[in-house]
Amino acid sequence: MEAAMNAMPYLLEGLKMTLYIFVIAIFFGFIIGLVVAMLRLAPIKPLQWIAKVYVDIIRGTPLLVQIFFIYFGLNSLSFISLDNVTAGILTVSVNAGAYLSENIRAGIQSINKGQTEASRSLGFSGTQTMRYIILPQALRRMLPTFTNQAIITLKDTSLLSVIGIADLTQRGEVQASATFESFAIWTTVGIMYFIIIYLLTIISNYLEKRMVIR
Amino acid sequence: MSIISVKHLKKSFGENQVLKDISTEIAEREVVCVIGPSGSGKSTFLRCLNRLEEITSGEVILNGHNVTDHKIDINRVRQEVGMVFQQFNLFPHKTVLQNVNLAPIKLKGVAKEEADKRALELLEKVGLKEKANNYPGELSGGQQQRVAIARALAMEPKIMLFDEPTSALDPEMVGEVLNVMKKLAQEGMTMIVVTHEMGFAREVADRVIFMDGGYIVEENKPKELFDAPQNERTKSFLSKVL
Repeated sequence: MEAAMNAMPYLLEGLKMTLYIFVIAIFFGFIIGLVVAMLRLAPIKPLQWIAKVYVDIIRGTPLLVQIFFIYFGLNSLSFISLDNVTAGILTVSVNAGAYLSENIRAGIQSINKGQTEASRSLGFSGTQTMRYIILPQALRRMLPTFTNQAIITLKDTSLLSVIGIADLTQRGEVQASATFESFAIWTTVGIMYFIIIYLLTIISNYLEKRMVIR
Repeated sequence: MSIISVKHLKKSFGENQVLKDISTEIAEREVVCVIGPSGSGKSTFLRCLNRLEEITSGEVILNGHNVTDHKIDINRVRQEVGMVFQQFNLFPHKTVLQNVNLAPIKLKGVAKEEADKRALELLEKVGLKEKANNYPGELSGGQQQRVAIARALAMEPKIMLFDEPTSALDPEMVGEVLNVMKKLAQEGMTMIVVTHEMGFAREVADRVIFMDGGYIVEENKPKELFDAPQNERTKSFLSKVL
């Protein structure tokens, strides 16, 4: 107990880093997901292929390998120089974007074809239809799967400790080995992750209730 | 002077030719009902008029625009043609008022207050002014379809297309929708109505088109077509539905 209390300020610094990376990565992940979903649904074959290859590669390789590839692999090229936090955010964004793009695509395709027809018959273009009619409905519908991905992404950031980012997990390791209080430290770290994820769930449930389509 | 001119319209879905050779002219302010057995191609015919279905061959001239020409701005042409669907297809995430004023605001750049005023007038016309701030999901089928009509009218179209507008409704709600359509016809709207409501066709239509197997088999004034059909297939169809 005392060990946990002593470690608290240090761990909270790590939690800050975890949240910092998470918020930026999930934001860019969402943007990437949206763009890739649009490419995937575009009526132009090469664009669809690009999107599909991207999703297949990301889903077909472990996140840990992606982290090593971007931080060590890309950085070994002479013209690229990424610090570890930038590389970490980049990797997690690109990873979350691939999964989110599939969620967004499924959400869009779940909207009844009649919605598009009604919109097009009024004179809206395909892009306007997507923007005003389809996406607002699809995004509401995919909120639960979005929350799910956000939770996974938050937990994924713990892998970034391997490239020396001082996130919650990395600081836990440092504290555990410095104090030999592994049980107390890792319990504390676990509780911190749990609280953040539980808060995410509560926010999501609240939004879901508010955004329900009557 | 016809407002719609269809010449040798053909439409195939893969191997399946749904419209075989359709030619007809529709005059301004004319109300035309299209009847026929299911699978006869009547809905496809209607959907080819505003190119909701790609046209395989033939020509459709709509209010002076060649719909078959891919160089035209089809979105612009569609603004002149309202469409009402069997399944209503209201936008569930928007209120009734927003359903009606969305297109005028976004496509015609009408100011919000002006669009609201006009939308409320249209909702009053279809008897649903008090539902303006409700969501479509809170309305009955008949009410939703009347909102869908108001939504289409908000763009001030020259032509209204109705694709089996009462087929998905409970019987007691059919009347309220037909009444709105009747009022529209009396005001001089050019209307093409694909329908199974023979009573409506007889009473309101200027002309009835009977389709079967991808062709227009027979077309005539409702009285003539219903009371003295010429073609055997028309006779057989009418004997089953009347």
